[in-house]
Amino acid sequence: MINRLGGGLGAVALAGTVRGSEPPHFRPRARRVIQLFMNGGPYQADLFDPKPLLAKYAGQRPEAVKLRTERQTSGLMPSPFRFRRHGESGLEISELLPHLSQHADRLCVIRSIHTDNPNHGPALLQMNNGTISPTVPSMGSWLSYGLGTENENLPGYVVLCPGRPVRFSVLWTSAFLPAEHQGTYINHKSLDPKQMIPYLRNANLDRPTQARQLELMRKVNRRHLARRQADPLLAARLKSMETAFRMQFAATEAFDLSRESQTVRQAYGTREFGNGCLLARRLVERGVRFVQVYYGNGQPWDTHQGHNARSASLCRDIDQPIAALLDDLARSGLLEDTLVVWGGEFGRTPTTDLSEGKGTDGRDHNHYGFTMWLAGGGMKGGVAHGATDDFGFQAVTDKVHVHDLHATILHQMGLDHERLTYRYAGRDFRLTDVHGQVVRELLA
Amino acid sequence: MTVDKSIATVLVAASLLVLAAPASPTRSAEPSPPGPTERDLEFYERRVRPLLSRRCYKCHSQRSKPIEGGLRLDRAAAIRRGGDSGPLLIPKKPRQSRLIEAVEYRNADLQMPPKAKLPAPEIAILREWVRRGAPLPKDRPLGTPGKSSDRKSGREFWSFQPVHRQDLPQSPDTTGWPRRRIDHFIRARLAQHRLSPSPETDRRRLIRRLSFDLTGLPPTPASVEAFVADRNSDACDRLVERLLANPHHGEHWARLWLDLARYSDTTAAWLKSTAQAWRYRDWVVEAINDDLPFDEFIRRQLAADQVDGLPIDQRRALGFLGLSPTYWKEPRLAPDLIRRVVAEEWEERIDTIGRTFLGLTLACARCHDHKFDPVSQADYYALAGVLASSRLFDQPLLPPERARVVRDADRRIADLRRRVTQVTLRIPPPADKKQQIQKLKARIEQIQKATPDYNAPRAHSLEDASLFVLADGQDMTRLEYRPGQARDLAIHRRGNPSTPGPVVPRRFLEVLSPGKIRPFRKGSGRLELADALVDSRQGGSLTARVIVNRIWRGHFGRGLVTTPSNFGLQGNAPSHPGLLDDLAARFIDNGWSLKWLHRELVLSATYRQSSLASPRGEAVDPDNRWLWRMNRRRLSIESWRDAMLTASGELDPALGGGAIPVDDPSHRRRTLYSKIERRELDTMLRLYDFPAPTGHSPKRVRTITPLQQLFVLNSPFIIRRANLLTHRVPRGPDPVTAVTRLHHLLYGRSADQDEVRTAAEFLAAAGPGGWQQYVQVLLGSNEFVFVD
Repeated sequence: MINRLGGGLGAVALAGTVRGSEPPHFRPRARRVIQLFMNGGPYQADLFDPKPLLAKYAGQRPEAVKLRTERQTSGLMPSPFRFRRHGESGLEISELLPHLSQHADRLCVIRSIHTDNPNHGPALLQMNNGTISPTVPSMGSWLSYGLGTENENLPGYVVLCPGRPVRFSVLWTSAFLPAEHQGTYINHKSLDPKQMIPYLRNANLDRPTQARQLELMRKVNRRHLARRQADPLLAARLKSMETAFRMQFAATEAFDLSRESQTVRQAYGTREFGNGCLLARRLVERGVRFVQVYYGNGQPWDTHQGHNARSASLCRDIDQPIAALLDDLARSGLLEDTLVVWGGEFGRTPTTDLSEGKGTDGRDHNHYGFTMWLAGGGMKGGVAHGATDDFGFQAVTDKVHVHDLHATILHQMGLDHERLTYRYAGRDFRLTDVHGQVVRELLA
Repeated sequence: MTVDKSIATVLVAASLLVLAAPASPTRSAEPSPPGPTERDLEFYERRVRPLLSRRCYKCHSQRSKPIEGGLRLDRAAAIRRGGDSGPLLIPKKPRQSRLIEAVEYRNADLQMPPKAKLPAPEIAILREWVRRGAPLPKDRPLGTPGKSSDRKSGREFWSFQPVHRQDLPQSPDTTGWPRRRIDHFIRARLAQHRLSPSPETDRRRLIRRLSFDLTGLPPTPASVEAFVADRNSDACDRLVERLLANPHHGEHWARLWLDLARYSDTTAAWLKSTAQAWRYRDWVVEAINDDLPFDEFIRRQLAADQVDGLPIDQRRALGFLGLSPTYWKEPRLAPDLIRRVVAEEWEERIDTIGRTFLGLTLACARCHDHKFDPVSQADYYALAGVLASSRLFDQPLLPPERARVVRDADRRIADLRRRVTQVTLRIPPPADKKQQIQKLKARIEQIQKATPDYNAPRAHSLEDASLFVLADGQDMTRLEYRPGQARDLAIHRRGNPSTPGPVVPRRFLEVLSPGKIRPFRKGSGRLELADALVDSRQGGSLTARVIVNRIWRGHFGRGLVTTPSNFGLQGNAPSHPGLLDDLAARFIDNGWSLKWLHRELVLSATYRQSSLASPRGEAVDPDNRWLWRMNRRRLSIESWRDAMLTASGELDPALGGGAIPVDDPSHRRRTLYSKIERRELDTMLRLYDFPAPTGHSPKRVRTITPLQQLFVLNSPFIIRRANLLTHRVPRGPDPVTAVTRLHHLLYGRSADQDEVRTAAEFLAAAGPGGWQQYVQVLLGSNEFVFVD
């Protein structure tokens, strides 16, 4: 993979030819990824990392929690939600997630994730792009670049959000990678494929006519390119025209949830996040390499106020759809080689957020230690890896940095994060910069 | 690293080995780059320096007593020099560098840090650093950064230095390539990298490039032919003058400014504004067309109401701040919370002012001193005071006496509206709530009708009035503006308005104020702020550099500084520092004339280069940082849409006026006049990288996606243009005439035989409708969408 494409020349060699999937570095355990992104940052101890000591020290502010986060925080605030052991593994999951709990033996819970920055923007960038800088490619772009696509008729990297996540398009940028690897953002607030994807169909031309027109377009643009030597932008536009043509038909079908039975629609619920999960399933079934589903517009999980009530209502929204997604993937066998990743850009503090005035009932951002889980795609199930301190503030045991998570995801996809590089401005860039260790204990 | 005596002895011996190595270890077959790259330096700053600081400074820095082994790791020079026992590293050769040997514990007598080996990832960082040639920043003090409010050391940073004309670099070249001063600087950099400029592009490409760059519109086929045929040596100069004098010039370049100013045609619903945002947009267009000196351009946007002798219609300029985003202030909440909302608004405005004019991220100093730049929290609140003393309002564009009548009516209406709110929120609700509200609303309507000139044109404007957020009974909030009264703000400790610190007088940034700093005295201080931004002893040099860089980027596709709104320590250093300073200094000397600046750039040899790549250039400088060729650029959505309307013969060239929804089928005006809504950006604009007008946008992020191409294939807009253009071109039985004409209209050139044949084959196979499909392909083709 080193120097694959090697800048502009490679991209031009691709012009007009269709680039299918690329061989990975070694046998992959997963072929596609669905990332369920709880933008805003969910609170780990409500969900997957029980901290009974919080109740004992409620309202107090022991030395161990005097950590600087984005805002000022005060005393410890216990989570009111109860945990139970589930499945054969006895994995502890909160009562907020009754449906998901039935999949306990499939979940590989990492309780010791940590990241570098407690602000949304930088943390979102780190989770997506590996560094807090918006100038490097996102993980989906790296996967698309490293593995190509399995379905030429759909974008290889789709970002679904009912609205716009904070920071927006830099979260799926291809930066210096060829532009074709950029994420395709779809606002699925409306479920009409023609609404989701603007200008999806031509009102006048039938398919053979349009195919002929596209052939002319190809000729015209290739001649133009041939007279101008290497230019990755020209080549990328040429290529994206081809994708667009096929997308008209493939996407209309892929994005059309009305083709699902009522039973299936019921299983996913019919709220926005559930629709996103169902769309994600339809897309991975059709060979899309990487699908991200953002929970919602802005940063809904950012519960600086009214945390408990909001946490409960947010969980009601995600519980059933995620369970339905895992059910479907398991039933069809796709879960074998589909990696599902759940988490936010960071977690939340065990202490209350002071910044909104007194009597606060919110939680601040916590980048020191939080939970994410993976499922399918060759990960162990029924596992809780790593640990945070007694109050769930800092990761202390078997810490897993976002770089390590990225290294692990790439590894499952058959890519060595140290060899997936791109030469740019005189050096080889990687998703994991100069960091990252595959967390081998988690691999099945 | 602590070094005991026995190890020190070994170090001396080891250093002999190092000295025996080639005298200049960095030299190799390739010419060495002039300095470390930005990324390398960033790597040092982000990864290496913190590591050294954490692990080594205890014994190896200025503050260690004694400095062990005479080795300091907190200064670049000291790191290069090494310690008592000689050099510490051989750039690019980690295995042979003693630093690495020591941290890897490879030598039992040389193990650093002595207490415990570093974790593997940290060693990897050091190894990687040496492998990259051990890049170190130049003349900046290493180690713990000085207190950011330290004015003296802060001023040493390049962008805070006054600009001066530079001596032209000694060029080894005698080809006579340079046409303008900038070319000498470009030539020198190219020579350093053993690159040569590309040949001049041909006339057809040049006029297309100039037309789009100066007016955002394509040249007419006739003007292309005339330019190609014009053999006079001043053909290019005359063309440039003509384009600069064309009113479309102002329309094109206004858009750059409107991106920075987060221009929106709609403001928040609760403002109940009756002003027309487009009046500000039109003011920008006019100012650019009139070549209003840039310092005056700034002055009017911040303080047109305070500049003596300006006609009332110049108040339109105040839309820069008058159209600021506003956030809802819920009267049912406690004042503390509302103060936060107000503080957010100030922050957004300071951010826009700081980044637009100075290229400084001033808003970073809201909660604490700026982490990187010499901007203190006191600086921030000194400026926030100016905004706290200014109020957004809708200025009737009328003579003062008539305007006063309207303002009186406004005040009475505002009072009535406040009473509507009170009635609405009263608990328990009064029995006749509905009637009360109806009555109040009727009175509002009556005042509106009875007031002469009430519907006169209005501009989003500013006046001096300071805002106080006051408690209103229990837990409710009342906003009170005190006209004509300025207010200094207390620092909000940690950015929290509820924990006030000392009060800071309104004034300019300390780092840009040499000598005794003077508080603002005239009203809110907006005019003094504007003056300080452009005063050559204060912000003027930086302001000039920032705008020069933006205009440069507009023409060359890449800035000399690639972070156009960050000229601070976290921004990127200029690729051609001398050139930037020389241009900025001369820009000021030439009366801050933007048209002078455009001329200077587009009449250069650098600008006239072909955009074709060369193998040597691609190998050495694929990003074209050194400008060995012109950058090929994709048209902005505005230019592309305008060019399609031009080709189809539909473009309505009228200047100014109200905004039209983008998707209105009858919208045939320039894209500039499309309605921009802050909350919901139009689909076509969003697809094509138009920035969200919720905040300052330093530059558009260019993307290429299949969704954009769906627009080409299927959008009613493009299909309609194809249809009209098809009917515009006379078609005979032989397609050659029409195909040729289309190529002239769209590409500014003739069609060759091959192209005619391709067209003929397509048309023969396509049958009816073929022409329109063919034209649609041309409208979406790369040749039409890109400028060579």
